[in-house]
Amino acid sequence: MTFYQREIIRIRSICYSNKRQIEAVIGTRNYINSNFDQELNLGLLSRIRFTSKFHLLRLFKKYYGLTPKQYLTDKRIEKAKEFLKEGLAVTETCFASGFETPSSFSTLFKCRVGLAPSEFQKRATFTKSV
Amino acid sequence: MKVKVISVPVGDQEKALQFYTRKLGFLKKVDVPISKDSRWLTVVSKEEQDGPEVLFEPSPNHFEPAKTYQKALFDAGIPYTQFNVDSVMQEYERLVNLGVEFSVRPTEMRTVKIAVFDDTCGNNIQIVEML
Repeated sequence: MTFYQREIIRIRSICYSNKRQIEAVIGTRNYINSNFDQELNLGLLSRIRFTSKFHLLRLFKKYYGLTPKQYLTDKRIEKAKEFLKEGLAVTETCFASGFETPSSFSTLFKCRVGLAPSEFQKRATFTKSV
Repeated sequence: MKVKVISVPVGDQEKALQFYTRKLGFLKKVDVPISKDSRWLTVVSKEEQDGPEVLFEPSPNHFEPAKTYQKALFDAGIPYTQFNVDSVMQEYERLVNLGVEFSVRPTEMRTVKIAVFDDTCGNNIQIVEML
């Protein structure tokens, strides 16, 4: 058995004591993945897992290194990029990826991606056609 | 600053190119001859062709400590480099069918599932799926 294989066994045995916590955060992440286009907040997410808001926030951050809100934003930006590449209009993309207003969407998108949504779409289409 | 390239040390660049494109499914991106036996040779993910490139770095041939370090990691089973996949199980089955050898079979660890295979160029590579 290699050093790495022994380490995996050691770390897994530590994880097992927290099986319920792990199930709760994985469940939350799956819920965000399939409902990113809905209005989501910590209150709703914690009610689904029958836990308190702050407990869920702490757990999610502990296991994923991000807060649920940060994770949700990443997911929405990733989806927005896909929609724009598929040719959806900027406003449609905004609502389809769960953002509330086109202006806040454009500002956030530009800040994260480095390009405005329309510019991103132009470049993606150009790359495809070349 | 931006992340554009990550390096994977390999003894044989051509062999690495074959393995990473034919088995793993990467695409060749940049291929520039540098000297008689070295190229600036990179591949990218098919799904993310503008994403970071993997550079096949021939350091084990030119710098003895690199070779020693690579071998020590390999013998300890440690994957220095990892790639993300949508499903570890599907990739595992696909690669096993192509004759790729795994030292760690699909294993759940907290919020990820991992597996580790031999890239035939001296490295353990880990694939990761977020759960």
